[in-house]
Amino acid sequence: MDHQLPLKMVKTMARSALLLALTVSLSCGPGENSLVLSVGGTPSELAFWEELVEDFEKENGIPTELLRQPTDTEQRRQGLVLALKAGKPNPDVFLMDVAWMGLFTFSGWLEDLGKDVDTSPFFQGVLHLVDIYRGKIVALPVYLDAGLLYYREDLLRRFQHPLPPRRWDELLSVAREIQQRMRNQAPRFYGFVWQGAQYEGLICNFLEFAGSKGGFVVREDGILLNCAENRRALKFMQSLIWDQAISPPSTFTEMKEEETRAYFQAGDALFERNWPYAWALHQSPESEVRGKVGVAPMPAPPNGESVSTLGGWHIGVSRFSDRKEEAKKLVAFITSYETQKRLLFRLGWNPGRRDLYSDAEVLEKAPHFNALKTVFQKARPRPIFPYYTQVSEIAQRHINRVLARKAAPAEALSEAEKDISALVMRYKVQGDPSTTE
Amino acid sequence: MNEGRLKSLLLVIGGIVTFLVPLTPFFYMVLTGLSEHHDFLSADKSFVFTLSHFHAVLASESSHFMAFVRNTLIVSAASAVISVCIASMAAYAVTRLSFRGKMAFMLVILALSMFPPISLVGYLFKLMSGLGWINTYQALVFPYVAWTLPLSLWILVSYFSNIPRDLDRAGLVDGCSRLQILIKVIFPVAAPGIFSTALLSFIFAFNEFMFALMLTTDYSARTIPVGIALFEGLHGQIPWGEIMAAATMTTIPVVILALIFQRRIIQGLTRGAVKG
Amino acid sequence: MDRVKRKNITLWISRRSTTFSESFQATRFLAPLFLFVALFILLPVMGSFVDSLFLDVTFRQRKFVFFENFEQLFRDPAFWGAFRFTCLFALVSVPVETFLGLMIALVINERFPGRDLLRACVLIPWAIPATVSGRIFELIYNYSFGAANYLLEALLITEEPVNWLGTEMEAFFALVAADAWKTTPFCAIILLSGLSAIPEDLYQQARIDRANFAQRFFRLTLPLLKPVVIVVLIFRTIEALRIFDLVFVLTGGGPGGATNSLSLYAFGYFSAGDFGYASACSVVLFIVAFAFSWIFLKVGRFQREAI
Repeated sequence: MDHQLPLKMVKTMARSALLLALTVSLSCGPGENSLVLSVGGTPSELAFWEELVEDFEKENGIPTELLRQPTDTEQRRQGLVLALKAGKPNPDVFLMDVAWMGLFTFSGWLEDLGKDVDTSPFFQGVLHLVDIYRGKIVALPVYLDAGLLYYREDLLRRFQHPLPPRRWDELLSVAREIQQRMRNQAPRFYGFVWQGAQYEGLICNFLEFAGSKGGFVVREDGILLNCAENRRALKFMQSLIWDQAISPPSTFTEMKEEETRAYFQAGDALFERNWPYAWALHQSPESEVRGKVGVAPMPAPPNGESVSTLGGWHIGVSRFSDRKEEAKKLVAFITSYETQKRLLFRLGWNPGRRDLYSDAEVLEKAPHFNALKTVFQKARPRPIFPYYTQVSEIAQRHINRVLARKAAPAEALSEAEKDISALVMRYKVQGDPSTTE
Repeated sequence: MNEGRLKSLLLVIGGIVTFLVPLTPFFYMVLTGLSEHHDFLSADKSFVFTLSHFHAVLASESSHFMAFVRNTLIVSAASAVISVCIASMAAYAVTRLSFRGKMAFMLVILALSMFPPISLVGYLFKLMSGLGWINTYQALVFPYVAWTLPLSLWILVSYFSNIPRDLDRAGLVDGCSRLQILIKVIFPVAAPGIFSTALLSFIFAFNEFMFALMLTTDYSARTIPVGIALFEGLHGQIPWGEIMAAATMTTIPVVILALIFQRRIIQGLTRGAVKG
Repeated sequence: MDRVKRKNITLWISRRSTTFSESFQATRFLAPLFLFVALFILLPVMGSFVDSLFLDVTFRQRKFVFFENFEQLFRDPAFWGAFRFTCLFALVSVPVETFLGLMIALVINERFPGRDLLRACVLIPWAIPATVSGRIFELIYNYSFGAANYLLEALLITEEPVNWLGTEMEAFFALVAADAWKTTPFCAIILLSGLSAIPEDLYQQARIDRANFAQRFFRLTLPLLKPVVIVVLIFRTIEALRIFDLVFVLTGGGPGGATNSLSLYAFGYFSAGDFGYASACSVVLFIVAFAFSWIFLKVGRFQREAI
């Protein structure tokens, strides 16, 4: 009986084990002796970020660590929101999707980058809309994004449609025709792949289908959605999947950026709607469509002009960071001319810096950039309020139901409107900064 | 048809199904981890053996795989040990000492185990945040201990109540304190039950997801279930090969534990549930 | 008479004081448990109840809004969708798992070579984390290359691949199947214990009385198993109402929010920083689960001898 450990000793052991674990925990985490940069993205993007971080370390002698986040933008936001709400010093620097940045700025989580920051090289419109809060610069654009229409140049030529479609109905007829002819050799071939899964990307796609006269109409008392343009757009999106069958059935369930990119890259699609990042990957050696891809602005609706949803990621410093000066240096590094150029070449990201668009090397290596410039001029942001994500979720839900054929466009849109106005009433902020204390 | 033969037939069919169904997804996971192409079931691809996924997950620092394993083991072990210690003390009191409201106490504890974790996690986050414990081991260990206490208590009460009180009386006559009796008399006799309880608590803490997802923010304290759920891999699209390799490596220990100690586990679960 | 009375009183006093000192000792033994449970279970639940009465978002000052969160909650069709799904899920998966568990328990209850091995195999799904099983099934249900579609096509049951996670119906059953795989072992084990508690002589007697297979099962086994079955049903229902891990990984609440569970719905709001609203939802789930626990405590039979 004596060889049984006394309870007291066991308890002491447990407690000391826990204590040890605490110290172990404290010393093995990120940020103990380094700056922490939190980014997400596709695995290939992350590999490049690792390189960048190493270069920054070498140049500045500041040990820096990369914290990898999942690819999905919602999961990236979730991780950041909880860490910031808990006031954690890590991550020090992070990227924010322009769609949910409003929450971060209005919640006061971003550190003022200071008066020394030279903001002139950046796109002023975006800067003032998104990055400046109560007169202070709290973030900088790392890259700007806008929806693009990718197309198979070779197939269009083969079937005698030399130019990419400028309107949605054009796209539909061309896609139908070519899909039919391609189905013999490629049973999985679809005319148009786009993001229809129930997530933020769906809204981006929807806004482009709706065109300049549709989308979110922000008013004093709420947000209007149930207009003719939106109804038409939803009907069109629905028909692409069901009646016309030029988009795969998994469009509204699984298709997000990576899924559509993979589909197009395997050679199984004629048109793809995606962000500019896909360009570099489509041109990579393993790609089936290398050298066969063209890029064009989004088609226009019958009523209104073509619209590209403005996306992109901005970089900010956490207000709770324990290394603010070093963090600001990292921000300066990432938004510098050279780094932005590298990001462009390696990841196909459009720089947030205006000055790069006139760089000769850039224009030589990325001729499609010229098309992008015009796209940018017309790019339209989503409404900026702290609870935009919830508004979007409501819209996503209803729109996805239409795509799943569970609701009619008019019905879905009016319900969405109702739900959104209840939400706006509850938060009573309506984009007015003075209501936040 | 002969009744005996019908029964045997049903038994064989039942046996085969009971064997295949639990194991097939598991094997699929292992196979995918070892296969070059994750879509090896497709017509144009075939199974090509490779260890590259395992290597990728283990060797890459940025996957933080080893960190997840370390965190999970520490948190689970600490939770199990502390939970069992505390539950034994309480179980001793319930089975050996008289006090008012015993039944009510047991029922309240039982009711507590039925609270949905989501109803706790919000305020728990604020609590841990206020203490500065978000993303530390404590943030997980304390809730896990509290959470496993009800079940541990019920199981241990069931085991302890089968130990005759005469053993206690012998110790009391010798002038031992109650605590000493617990340690010197009850523990050795109830060791199998205590072990079962610790094992069940360990498995629970190992597999817990929601608290870990909300109370930790990065790999310094995150556990395996969170790591696997959010695992995006190192190369390629959704890297099923790597996900399955990681999943295999993390589940093999628990599976081995379950296989070796199946009797203990089953006993523990049964006592906890049926007595209730 | 005096002496007897005095002796009784002395006995009474000594017994009372033993009881008193025992109660005191009991307090010391129970204190750690009380402390943990009070701090990390009771306190958070009460805290959530309180939080649900506030507008608690990260971009505004915390404000007492009484039942506004609940009003908004009950007006939100997404909430009711989640409520419906959660109840439906429990309603379908629990009987399925109990039934399958019973079948498995019947098989394992028999003596045959390899029975231990079989019992161990059955434990495996239960032992692994729910998120891992979620990812395995995510792969199995994959439209293009998953094992489910592969099997279906190989066995010539369907020609076209099934969009498992894409349609509401399919996604629902895909979830039920994945959950059944994961938790049937638990039901099986509990039912097995109930089965093995039935004395063999009862069966012998039944055989002597010329009761056949079916009669033995329905007239003897099932009635005796009833209390255990009830325990399993109620335990599993309370668990099923909380479903989170599997839905998070497998469907993320989709397609179109069709498989959003109450826990997942609330979690979405927590991770957006709206703690007030999310707490309100968790309060509702708590009340539902509590109602069920209440039923359990009333219906279940307790062996007081154990204590």
